[in-house]
Amino acid sequence: MSYQGTKINPTKFHPSQMKFYAILVPLAFVMMLPIIFIIFHAFKPINELFAFPPRFLVRRPTFENFEDLIRFAGDSGIPFSRFLFNSLIVTVSVMFLSVFISAIAAYALSKMKFKLRATLFEINTIALMFVPLAVQIPRFLVMDESGLMNTYLAHILPLLSMPIGLFLMKQFIDQVPDELKEAAVMDGAGEFLVFRKVILPVIKPALATVAILAFQAVWGNIETSSYYVNDESLKTVTFFMGTLVSQTGNTVAGQGMAAAASLIMFIPNLVIFIFLQSKVMNTMAHSGLK
Amino acid sequence: MASFRLTNKRRKALVGMAFIAPWIIGFFLFALRPMIYALYLSFQKVKVTPLGIKTDYVGWDNYKYAFDTDPHFVEMLLRYLRDMAMNVPIIVTFSLIIAMLINQKIQFRGTFRTIFFLPVIITSGPVINELLSQGVTTIPNIESYAMFELVKESLTPAVADPIMYLFKQIIMVLWFSGVQILIFLAGLQKVDSSLYEAARIDGASPWEAFWKLTLPMLMPLVVVNFVYTIVYVSTFALNEIIVMISKSMFDTLTGFGYATAIAWIYFVMIAIVLAIWTAVLNSRNS
Repeated sequence: MSYQGTKINPTKFHPSQMKFYAILVPLAFVMMLPIIFIIFHAFKPINELFAFPPRFLVRRPTFENFEDLIRFAGDSGIPFSRFLFNSLIVTVSVMFLSVFISAIAAYALSKMKFKLRATLFEINTIALMFVPLAVQIPRFLVMDESGLMNTYLAHILPLLSMPIGLFLMKQFIDQVPDELKEAAVMDGAGEFLVFRKVILPVIKPALATVAILAFQAVWGNIETSSYYVNDESLKTVTFFMGTLVSQTGNTVAGQGMAAAASLIMFIPNLVIFIFLQSKVMNTMAHSGLK
Repeated sequence: MASFRLTNKRRKALVGMAFIAPWIIGFFLFALRPMIYALYLSFQKVKVTPLGIKTDYVGWDNYKYAFDTDPHFVEMLLRYLRDMAMNVPIIVTFSLIIAMLINQKIQFRGTFRTIFFLPVIITSGPVINELLSQGVTTIPNIESYAMFELVKESLTPAVADPIMYLFKQIIMVLWFSGVQILIFLAGLQKVDSSLYEAARIDGASPWEAFWKLTLPMLMPLVVVNFVYTIVYVSTFALNEIIVMISKSMFDTLTGFGYATAIAWIYFVMIAIVLAIWTAVLNSRNS
């Protein structure tokens, strides 16, 4: 295949492609359904929200759900922007730190020779399988002892250990040929320089994937706000949205607000995804992995 | 002490440890230590009081309760094992097929790749919650469609049931396959295209080329994807058993001790499933 830069789409349509479309288009449609659903759901008036069987499309779209949500949010003593600011700080720190920590650890486990490295990776794989829920109380005790309660660190630190991130990164770095590293070492590069200049550019798809996963984990997290932070002004948007919706309980208006809230909370997910996925998909073609 | 001289090997080990240190510290504090503490709690009766957490040693009682008394747990565990035996190969096969399709030279390839990577943001957090509560993750009343009735009547239950099951689960299968497709796609792009040309010149059909060329080369990634899928499906927050664990955590009858006990049983189960699958795959490999 000739080098095509970042253009991965062939420019011409050819009848021989038809058979692929026959399979891909219907499946792609199924993949899109949840997104379409979540968008339309937020604009449904009450009678359509409760329709059975649930309908995908909205017939008479309304902004009522959003208006309810805004009115309700205004009643709380702390300005919304405060929660948003907290979420931003926490999300950005967790994304960068967890991607960096798992990338550098994965590099060491994959491309450097020292004792224990096989054992460490095994332990990580085992930890992957453990149900995060079951460590809630023990984690609480760790936080309590360390005196980090009611700080931003209480939001950030527990989410930094991401066994799945290390697992994925190592799989990608394993595929980078050793010769690439050796060539750089020949030229006098130290380990960190090799990591930064040789490995990082090549594993961009993995970096972007782990960044997406980390974003999801931290953005949707309510655990840290409900257990480790008592100070209302330090809690996150997700937690705030959750309380708004649960305060109204299962009331009719509550359902509409819940739908609107989940759309609002989903939009950053979608934006991050669209922004990062181009890195995921485009870099593999000319990453030196071949 | 002569042994402390910084030999080249020793220096390398030190640099390696330095690289991995942040991860180790975080991991031990927030993952491994809590896990071990959870094991300790699983042998206790735990009471959360306003003054703190009270524990009473009860031996194996929590574990006995899970297998002897709890009306649902064993049943759920068996269902989990069945689902793992069926879903995981389906998800991995499906991801491989999709990865090969979107590796073809077709128009809008980039768009398709994006769409099939979407599950990554769907199956986490609020979206899937909402979808599950609305019941849109299964095709409603699938049995009533003529095509499926035909399947049911014309085949013996042993054959028909898995087919029906597959169709019922198809949406969930699709949504669990984002990262796996990516892993396969990266692997496929590594395969040298001149190998395929050589195979074609030697008269191999695309079918043969897949079994003799593509699959053997992707085999390490198949194992990776099996591990990833098992872990991902097992620790998915809305998984039956996990929901049960979280319920019994705050149930006054059973309490947190019991919740950690079933979490540990479940953890061992997942480890066994994982060990069996990797053993099977590796034996076929060699």
